[in-house]
Amino acid sequence: MAYVATRGGERAIEQSERLFRSEMGAIDGARVQQVKESLPYLVDRVMGEASLYDEYLAALALAQTGGELYEAVLLLRAWRTTQPRLCVAAPVEQDRLFTHRRISAAFKDIPGGQVLGPTLDYAHRILATEVLQGETYEPAAVDPAETPTPAYHPGVSAWQAENDLVDLPEPDAVLGNDIPDLTREPLLFPSKRAHTLQSLARAETGGVLALGYAAMRGYGQAHPTVNELRLAEAEIEVKHPDGRSFSAGRVKVSQAEVVDKKGEKLGLGYAATFGWNEVKCIAAATLDLNSPGAEKGSPTEEEFFLYHTEGVESSGFCIHFKLPHYVTFQSSLDAMRDARAKKAAKPKPNVTEPAE
Amino acid sequence: MSAMPQPNMSEARANATFDALLWTLSRPGLPRSLPEPGEAPIIEALLDRECRVHAAEPTLIPAIMRTGAEIAEIDRADHVFLGAMTAAADLAHLALGSDLYPDDGATVVVRARFGDGQRLRLTGPGVDGMLTLDVGGLPEGFWQARAERMRYPMGFDLFLIEADRVVGIPRSTQVEVL
Amino acid sequence: MTLKTLTKPWEAMSYGFLDGSAKREMRRKMLKSVAVPGCQMPYASREVPMARGWGTGGLQVSLTLVNPETRVKVIDQGADDSVNAASIRRFIARVAGTPTTMDTLKADLIQSRHRIPEEVLSEDQILVLQVPNPEPLRPVQPNMSIARQMHADADYGRMWLQLYEQIVRSGRVMQGASYPSLVNGRHVMTPSPIPRWDVPKLHMAKHLTILSAGREKRIYAVPPFTRVEPLVFSDVPYKVEDHAKLTCHRSGATGFFMNEIPQDDGSSTHEVSDSEWGVKAIRVRDGEKVALGETWYKDGEMPQ
Repeated sequence: MAYVATRGGERAIEQSERLFRSEMGAIDGARVQQVKESLPYLVDRVMGEASLYDEYLAALALAQTGGELYEAVLLLRAWRTTQPRLCVAAPVEQDRLFTHRRISAAFKDIPGGQVLGPTLDYAHRILATEVLQGETYEPAAVDPAETPTPAYHPGVSAWQAENDLVDLPEPDAVLGNDIPDLTREPLLFPSKRAHTLQSLARAETGGVLALGYAAMRGYGQAHPTVNELRLAEAEIEVKHPDGRSFSAGRVKVSQAEVVDKKGEKLGLGYAATFGWNEVKCIAAATLDLNSPGAEKGSPTEEEFFLYHTEGVESSGFCIHFKLPHYVTFQSSLDAMRDARAKKAAKPKPNVTEPAE
Repeated sequence: MSAMPQPNMSEARANATFDALLWTLSRPGLPRSLPEPGEAPIIEALLDRECRVHAAEPTLIPAIMRTGAEIAEIDRADHVFLGAMTAAADLAHLALGSDLYPDDGATVVVRARFGDGQRLRLTGPGVDGMLTLDVGGLPEGFWQARAERMRYPMGFDLFLIEADRVVGIPRSTQVEVL
Repeated sequence: MTLKTLTKPWEAMSYGFLDGSAKREMRRKMLKSVAVPGCQMPYASREVPMARGWGTGGLQVSLTLVNPETRVKVIDQGADDSVNAASIRRFIARVAGTPTTMDTLKADLIQSRHRIPEEVLSEDQILVLQVPNPEPLRPVQPNMSIARQMHADADYGRMWLQLYEQIVRSGRVMQGASYPSLVNGRHVMTPSPIPRWDVPKLHMAKHLTILSAGREKRIYAVPPFTRVEPLVFSDVPYKVEDHAKLTCHRSGATGFFMNEIPQDDGSSTHEVSDSEWGVKAIRVRDGEKVALGETWYKDGEMPQ
C-alpha cells in the first residue's frame, strides 16, 4: 500500500482500519463482560487515565482496541467529552473511604491498623505454565479473618498533624461548579491545586512512573516515605433537585500520601486516582512532594511533569510523526542547500595567488 | 450514525449568530445580521455556567440566568451587556485582562444607532486601509473613554447592536471621532 | 421556571460532535483571538475522536464553525487526498452533514495542515490551520510560563539573537517552515509549519485565518488586513523557498511550491504541492474548461 497521498486515500484508510479490526473479530457483550471480569486492574488503569469511571465502557474500549491502551483511553476520553455534566458529587473525606487495603511504611502500626488487603506484593512471581498444558489454575480460597477489619479509617497524616509533625493543607472550601475542572479549562501555571491533582489523577501510568522514579533516584530533592497507601471505594453522594442527598453508588479509588522531612516538619505529597493503581499513586505523590520550589525545567517541576505525563497528548504527538512532513522537510532542505551554496560561492579568504 | 445530522433550532441560531459576530469582529465597522434582533441571540451563542456576566439592562437578566452564567459586578464580568448607555463612565470599570492573559478582557455589548450620530474613522487589523462609520445613541465621551482605557493588548471588545444588526469593534481598532 | 425550560430533548450525539458548552467556549476564545491578532489564547481543548497531534485543534474550530451549508475542504501537505485529510474530511461530513469540495474556490472553510492553497482566498472564506506547536519561542525557551511572560513583555530579544546567530554561522536564517512572524506589530507567532513560501499569503489577506493547537490548547488568529511580517534583518531580506523556476512533471505548472520526488538515477523531479491546483492545470492542458482562481504568486513571484 502506498504511504503518501495517492488518489484513493479514502479507500486505503478504510481498509487499513478493517485490517486492524479483523484481528479482534466480532465483539459482543460476552467479550466485554469477560474483559471486565478477568482484567480488573487493566480496566482500573484505563478508567483512571480516561478520567471516566465506568467498568463496562472501559472494558468495551479495551475490547474495541485490542488492548492498545493509548487508543482505549482516547476512545473513553472522546466519549466522555460529549457527555453532559449533570451534577458534582459531595467531597469525600479520607475517613469515609470504604477501605480494602491500607498500609503505612512510616510506622509499624497505625491507628486503625495496617490492612494488607488484596496484593501481589508478597507473591512469588511464577508463571502458571500448567495452564498451557491444559490444567486449570484454581486460586486458593480466602480464609476470612475471625473479626472483620473496620471499613473506615482515619488518615495517617491526621495523627501526624495532631502531633504537630505535619501541616495539613488548608481544607478547600470550594464546592460544586466552582471547583476548577481540568476537562473544561486549560492547564495554566502556576497550576491551581485542583488542576494539579486532576492532572495527576488522569496521567499516564508509565509516564508518571518514569518521572516519579527519576525523582526517587535523586533528580528530586525529597525522598519519599509511604505514609499511607490506600485502596478503597468512595461513595458518590449527589443531591436530588428536591434537595435530598443520596448515594449514586461507589467507585474504586486509590490514593497515596508520601512524606519527607522538611526542616522540623514533614513535607506531604498526595495523589489519588480512579481505580486501583498503586504504582501510579506512589509515583504521582512523589512528584507532588518534590514540586514545591523545584527548578524550572527539572522533571519535578509542575509544568514539566504535568505536561509530559498527559498520555493522550503525548502518545498522540508521538504517533503524529508518522504523518507526512514533506512540506516542512522540503523547506528545511531548501535552507540547507542555499546555505551550502552560499558557502561554496564565497571567495576563500587569505589565499594568496602564486606570483606569475 | 445513520441519518444526516441536522442542528436543532438553538444550535442553528447560535451558529448563525456566531458567524455574524466572528465576521464583524474580523472586519471592524462592517455590519452583519444576527438571526434575531437584540442581545438574546448573543447570550445564547456565547454564555453558559462558565461565564460571569454583568447586565446594566435588567430585562436581560432572566435570559442570562437561564444560561447558568453567574451574575457579577461589572469589574469581574467577562461579558457585559450595557444596553442603551446613558453615561460613558461605565467603561471605566470593564475588565481589561492582563498582559499575560489579554483574553480576560471583557466582551461588551452596547445598543447603538447606525447611520446617524458621530462620524468615526476606523483603522487597524481587519480594516482595509480605513473606514468611516456613523454611530449614534452612545453617551457623550464614549469613544474618548474607550481610548483612555485601552492598553493594548489589554482592553475590551465591543459589539454595537441595533435591532438585528451588529458591528464589532475589537480592542485592536483605532477609533477617531471626526 | 419549569423543568421543561431547563432541559433539551435527548440527542445521541450533538450536531458537529462537540456539545454546546464546548462550542460556546470555542466561540468565546475565537472572538478573543481575533481581537488580539497573533496572541495565543488558552482554551480547554476537548478530546475529539482523533489522536492529539492529528489536527484536533483545527478540527474543534471547524466543528464549531460548520453548519449543513458550509462547504468544507481539507488538505494535508497541500493534498486533499492525503490519508489524514481524507479522514478529517470524512469525519466532519459524518458528524455535521457538510458538503465537501476539493476546489479551493468553492470552499467556505478550509482546514489545512502545513500549506495555504495557491489560489487567493476571498473575504468569505475561513482558513483553519492545524498547529503542532503554537509557541515560536520554544526553541529559545521551552518553559511555557516563562515564554508567556516574554510575550507579555514583548521580549523577543532572544528570538532575534537566535536568527542573528544563524546568519553568522550559515550565512542565512536556517528556519525552514514555521517562520516566526510579527503580527500587527505586537505579537510574534508561528504561522504553523507552512513553508516560508506561504507566510506572505497571510499578510494583509482578505480572509480570516484561525490557527489552533489542540494538544497544546492554544488558539490564535490573523484577521483580514492584518500585518504579518516575518522576522528579518533589514540587510538580510526574507527568502522563500527557491521554487519559482521549478516545473511540475505531471501538470507542467511552474512557479508554485513543489514536492521534490527523488529518482532512481540520483536526480529529482518535482510535482506541485497544492494537489488541486495541479489537477486543475492538467485539466486545462487537456482542453477542459476549468475555473482558475487568481494565484498569490505570479510567475513565481509574490507581488508586493
